[in-house]
Amino acid sequence: MARTLAMFTDTSLCIGCRACQVACKQWNELPMEAPEWTGSYQNHSHFTDKTYRLVRFIEKPQANGELQWLLMSDVCKHCAQAGCLDACPTGAIYRTEYGTVNINQDVCNGCRYCVSSCPFGVVAFNHDTGRANKCTFCNDRIHNGLGPACAKTCPTDSIQFGFRDELAAKAEKRVAKLKEMGYAGAQLYGVDSNGPLGGLNAFFLLLDKPATYNLPEKPLLPQRNVLVDSVLSVGAALLVGVGAVMAFRERGGKGGGDA
Amino acid sequence: MLKTPDWHMLIVWYFFLGGIAGGAYFTAAIADNFGSFRDRAVVRIGYILALLMIGVCGILLILDLGTPSRFLNMIMHFKFWDPMSIGAWMLGVFGLFALVSSVLSLSADEGRSALRRKVSLVGTIFGFFLASYTGVLLSASALPFWSDARLMGALFLASGASTGMAAISLLLYLSGDAAGEGFKKVKRADRFAILFEMAVLVLFLVLLGSAAAPLVSGAMAPLFWGGLVVVGLVVPLLLDVLGARWVPAVIPAVLVLIGGFILRYVVVMTHA
Repeated sequence: MARTLAMFTDTSLCIGCRACQVACKQWNELPMEAPEWTGSYQNHSHFTDKTYRLVRFIEKPQANGELQWLLMSDVCKHCAQAGCLDACPTGAIYRTEYGTVNINQDVCNGCRYCVSSCPFGVVAFNHDTGRANKCTFCNDRIHNGLGPACAKTCPTDSIQFGFRDELAAKAEKRVAKLKEMGYAGAQLYGVDSNGPLGGLNAFFLLLDKPATYNLPEKPLLPQRNVLVDSVLSVGAALLVGVGAVMAFRERGGKGGGDA
Repeated sequence: MLKTPDWHMLIVWYFFLGGIAGGAYFTAAIADNFGSFRDRAVVRIGYILALLMIGVCGILLILDLGTPSRFLNMIMHFKFWDPMSIGAWMLGVFGLFALVSSVLSLSADEGRSALRRKVSLVGTIFGFFLASYTGVLLSASALPFWSDARLMGALFLASGASTGMAAISLLLYLSGDAAGEGFKKVKRADRFAILFEMAVLVLFLVLLGSAAAPLVSGAMAPLFWGGLVVVGLVVPLLLDVLGARWVPAVIPAVLVLIGGFILRYVVVMTHA
C-alpha cells in the first residue's frame, strides 16, 4: 500500500466562499440541484448524491446575545474503519492504495445498505442511476499526481491535501498555536489513528466541540452490533424452538411416528 | 445528520414474508421430527409455504434494485461479516432446502420421510437465519432506532416464528383441516411464540430508551400501539387463552399476521 493520503480541513481558515463546493461540482461533473432554504447561507442542508463537498454555516449564539459564525467545509471522512465499506455486499465500495474509500459505480447495485451504515450520513442514493454516490477523494486526480479539486481550489488553505502523517503533524502544530492565541475550543477531529473508526483520512480542526458542527462526539462502526445481535438471535431461536418442540411432542411418547 | 436508506414497501414485504418463510419451515421441521403422523398436514403446508415465500422474497429483492440484473453483483461477492451479503447467499441456500423438503413431503415413502427429517434439521438452521438476519442487518446500521437495542434480530425471529405458525394455521383452516390435531398444536406453539415476542418487545423498548421515541410517541405510535401491540399481540393471545367460542378459530392467526406486517412496517418506515 502506498503512503496514506489525507485531507486536513482547518475550519479556522474557512471564509465560507464555497469555492471548494463549486470546484467539486465542476470536476466531478455533478449536475445542479434545486436550491434548498436552510435558514442560513448554507445550501444544501446535507450531502446529496450530487453534493460531495458542503460548506456548513453554523450560527452559534454567544453569551452577549450575538451570533458567532462557524464555517466548515465538510466532506466524506474516508474512515480508516469505514461502515459503508463493511456494509457493501457487492464489493463496490473499496479502499484504494492511498487509504481513501471509493465506490465503483459499475459494481454498485443500489441496495442502499451503505447509506444507513455511514456514521456521518455522507453516502447518498442517486435515484437517476440507482446507485450510491459520495466523495471520491478525486480518485482520478490523485492517481495522476494532483490533489482533490476542493483542496486545490481553496484560496485560504483551509483545505489541505498531502500525506496523512505530515498533515497530522501540521494539524497538531496549528491547534497548539490557536490555543495559544486564545481559541480555547480549538480541537482536532479524527486525526488520532487510535481513536474512533481508526482515524479519519479527511480530518478537521474545529473551533468548538464536534456537536456544534453536528458531528458525532464518538462515531462508532455500525458492524460492532452484528455479533451481539446474532448471539441474541440464536438464543431466541433456541427458546422458540424449544417452545415449538414442547407443543408438538406427543405427551409421554417419544415423538417421531410414521409420517 | 444520518441518512436513511429509503427502503419502502418492497423491503417491508420482504422482511415480513422472509419471517414467514423461516418460521413456517422450522415449525414444519419440528412437527416433522417431534410430532406424529397426524401432523402431516402441518409438515407439508409448512415446507411448501416456505418455498413459495422464498420465491416471492427473491423477486421482491430483485425488484427493489430497480435494475434486476444487478442482483448478480450481490452473488459475485461474499462477506462473512456482512448481514446483507450473507443474507443474499442464505436466501438461495435456504431456498434449496425448502425445495428438497417440499418435494420429499409429497411422498409417503418411509425411506424418503427419514431423509426429509434429516434434511429439515439442517434446513431449520437456515430458517431461523432467514427469520432473524433481517433484524441483525438493521442493527448493523448507524441509525440509533435500528441499532441501539441490539435485539432487532431476536424480535424479528420471534415475530417470524409467530407469523409462520399463524400462516400455517390460516392455510390449515382454509383447507378445512381446522379440527385436526395439527391445528391445535400449531396454535399451542404460536401461543408460546406470541408470549415470547411480547417479552422481547418489552426488553427491546427498555434497551432502546429514548431512541424508541419515534415509535412509541411519534407518528408511528398509533400504528405501533394499536396495530402491533393490541391487534397483533394482546388480542390474539387473549382470544386464544380464553378460548372464545364465538370467534372463528382462524381469527387469532389473521390478527397475528397483521401484527407481524405492522411490526416490519413501523420498523422499516421509522426514520430516526
